[in-house]
Amino acid sequence: MPSNTIVERVAADLAKYPPFDKLAAEVLGELASSVSVSYHEEGELLFRKDDPLKGAAFMVMKGAVKLYDRIDGEEVLVDMYDEGDVFGVRAIFGGDGYLLYAQVAEESLIYDIPVEKIKALIAADAGVSMFFAGEFAKSVQEIERTLSSAFSLRRQGPTGPSCSSFLEHETLEVKPVVNVVTCPEDISVREAAVIMAECNIGSILVVSPEGHPRGIITDTDLRKKVVAVSGPVNERPVRDIMSSPVYTITGGKTVADMVMLMVKTKLRHFCITLDGTIDSPVRGIISEHDIITSEGNNPAVIMKEIMAADDVEQFKAERDKAENLLGTYMGQNVAVHFMTSIITEINDAIITRAIRTTIAALQAEGRPLPSVPFSWLSLGSEGRKEQLLRTDQDNALLYADPAGHEREAVREFFLELARRVTGMLEGAGFVRCPAEVMASNPKWCLPLSEWKSCFRRWIETPEPKAVMHSTIFFDFRPVYGDASLAGELKRDVFDSIARGRGFLEFFAKNALQNPPPLGFFRNFMVEKSRDHANEFDIKSRAMMPLADAARVLSYQLRIPEYFSTVERFQRIGELEPALSGLSLEAAAAYEFLMKLRALNGLEHSSSGRYIKPESLNKLDRQMLRNVFTTIGEIQQTLNLRFQLDYIRD
Amino acid sequence: MTISATDILLLQTALWRCRNGKLPGAVCRYLQSMKDRPKGNTPLESVRMVVFDTETTGFDVKSDGVISIGAVAITGLSINVADSFEVLVRQDRVGRSEAVAVHGLLKKDIAGGAGELEAAEAFLEYIGSSILVAQHASFDVGMLNRILSETFRIRLFNGVVDTASLAKRLEKGPYYNLAHKVGEYRLDHLCQRYGIRLYDRHTAAGDAYLTAQLLQRLLAKGRTAGITTAGRLLMQ
Repeated sequence: MPSNTIVERVAADLAKYPPFDKLAAEVLGELASSVSVSYHEEGELLFRKDDPLKGAAFMVMKGAVKLYDRIDGEEVLVDMYDEGDVFGVRAIFGGDGYLLYAQVAEESLIYDIPVEKIKALIAADAGVSMFFAGEFAKSVQEIERTLSSAFSLRRQGPTGPSCSSFLEHETLEVKPVVNVVTCPEDISVREAAVIMAECNIGSILVVSPEGHPRGIITDTDLRKKVVAVSGPVNERPVRDIMSSPVYTITGGKTVADMVMLMVKTKLRHFCITLDGTIDSPVRGIISEHDIITSEGNNPAVIMKEIMAADDVEQFKAERDKAENLLGTYMGQNVAVHFMTSIITEINDAIITRAIRTTIAALQAEGRPLPSVPFSWLSLGSEGRKEQLLRTDQDNALLYADPAGHEREAVREFFLELARRVTGMLEGAGFVRCPAEVMASNPKWCLPLSEWKSCFRRWIETPEPKAVMHSTIFFDFRPVYGDASLAGELKRDVFDSIARGRGFLEFFAKNALQNPPPLGFFRNFMVEKSRDHANEFDIKSRAMMPLADAARVLSYQLRIPEYFSTVERFQRIGELEPALSGLSLEAAAAYEFLMKLRALNGLEHSSSGRYIKPESLNKLDRQMLRNVFTTIGEIQQTLNLRFQLDYIRD
Repeated sequence: MTISATDILLLQTALWRCRNGKLPGAVCRYLQSMKDRPKGNTPLESVRMVVFDTETTGFDVKSDGVISIGAVAITGLSINVADSFEVLVRQDRVGRSEAVAVHGLLKKDIAGGAGELEAAEAFLEYIGSSILVAQHASFDVGMLNRILSETFRIRLFNGVVDTASLAKRLEKGPYYNLAHKVGEYRLDHLCQRYGIRLYDRHTAAGDAYLTAQLLQRLLAKGRTAGITTAGRLLMQ
């Protein structure tokens, strides 16, 4: 029996760092008693490239270890590891031998942790398995599954506390009304209205004799289908006027689930049945009101306020509320794509409202909307539905080609519209784009034919500025107006790209401009170039490389939807089975980065773009290391796919 | 590795008593393992070293008793946590000595421990022929030898390394007089000097673990001074 005192000592050291910080005491104790402690002097080589894998992975307890490769006789630094970092994990996942050299950079005390013990932990503990590279994608798949199934399936029971920080869910559950007032299909409308009045309720569920939901009658139905209709409707059976089918779900839905469902379906009542289908007994009902009142600071409320607002001050106030909401969601570990959906909906609502208000104002000034359809386009990250915090405005305006003699008048109208709308957005806190990529700029307020020729020009002559513009404009998404215009423009871009070979190669080359950093060492970012920066630009060093790669592949694969980077990667994985694993990792990586950026931004009231390495905890660092590896692999994929090594600059 | 004539004689006698069934099995296995003692030219990487510490009721080898023994083995120059040892000894002599306050052990803890004889047997079984290492080793070894001689009429036949002397030898050379500056070579000071975080001071196992970390650093230092074999290490 090993000494308790020593085992406890080692256990306490291990427990200071992830992934061992959340282990139960007995598990930790068993792990600790398997550790051996080694001391190494500066310069010592712990393993060499191609050495057979050892039986242990290593945790630095004191000191520092560098991992490097030798390429053409030259030492290329790959990463630095300091207190609490785990390296040599290749031994866990197998392979022929080490891929790198590990050398002690400062005298080090190292805990050797047997591979078998770690493997057992990975199998038994979600937190530990998440932690290790290679297991990254698999665990994220797990998250995705839970989230997407949230809409159609009951949650798969509670998950262990050890992975609570990874699983993104809204913990607040919407309590349904369980004593649902129902009526059979054949009673008269009048009888149903009497029941509703007596019970003082806004809706009544129509059920079959077995208690299965057949339809619903709401106050709105009574107003629109009974009172406003001439003739004796009162005595007709309720089945004639009920809304059917009812949208059914299973119980246990959270606020996040329900708000998303409301946004998606635009419905206001959801019926809970035993198995979630319409052919099963009613268990309860959730109305819009229940969702709204389950939480004060609610996106649905904000949306309503925005749609009723008509001045800049109100827009700003509502957008500020949305930002508060974001803070709350962050604290509750709500899924990032849920948050971006909400924020996108809110931003789109503000834009929509600003456009409508402006059109009405222009109308009142005697300047009616021209008869040609138009579409307001969001560009860049707003176009990709990825804004969490307010950043610069990036927008454009697209309208159908007017008849020749109206050309100037129409252009003048839309420019005025754009000037006022961008002004309102500025007032709402969306800063003007410093590069003037805005609809108010005459260059970016164009009829369809001019947009087509502009984009064709960029595609045919991909000089640097054209490529740079493409990265912003090719993420366009119609927010208001006639979306078919945007669809036609997108098809034209696909065709032009297919015709003008060479563009995608330049587009891809552009996506490789920024290689990811290697990792972090104490308060520095470790770079291949060896210039250790003490600030991490998460946007240009991690997010843009991924967003750029997703865009290139989406245009190559002619993906027509106005997708976010995450959605793009998911679709890419479906279309190209060879890329499915990597795409999924990339999607997960991007979500992680968005969240990290938003958290950093909220904390410092900034765009969140620059992160101080010292503010990152061990887990974030480890996740970022994994993310950087994924980015490297994506860039490698682009490089091979477009044979970029053969292209000269 | 050399062994003194007295030791050879004691060992022979003890083994003869084993053959006559006069000594417990554990003690006999210990005695027999002496033939596997590391050779002088055995590289340190292949040697098992047991770093240990004892807590006692006081500092008089003759009248005070051992309260606990803690130890951890170093193999392949790594501290092997699984190969560690800790035993509390039931001790009647406890109570008056200042050492009790130092160790923070209560009478009832010690009353629940093993008998001196059992503890000694378990320790012998654990160490086998390994090289023994302790801070100010002569005291700990003396304590254990007193028990062993009273109970079994034997003593420890292992090679012994004193970390304080080793540190002195590496830092100042072999002729520095340790006696003048005792404080400089106390475990706390050595740990501080070699950047070892102090914790669990004054429990036998805690001190043994600290001493083991100290030994690792001293051995790393010693490697450059040519101390690479068991023989070189024991040549003090």
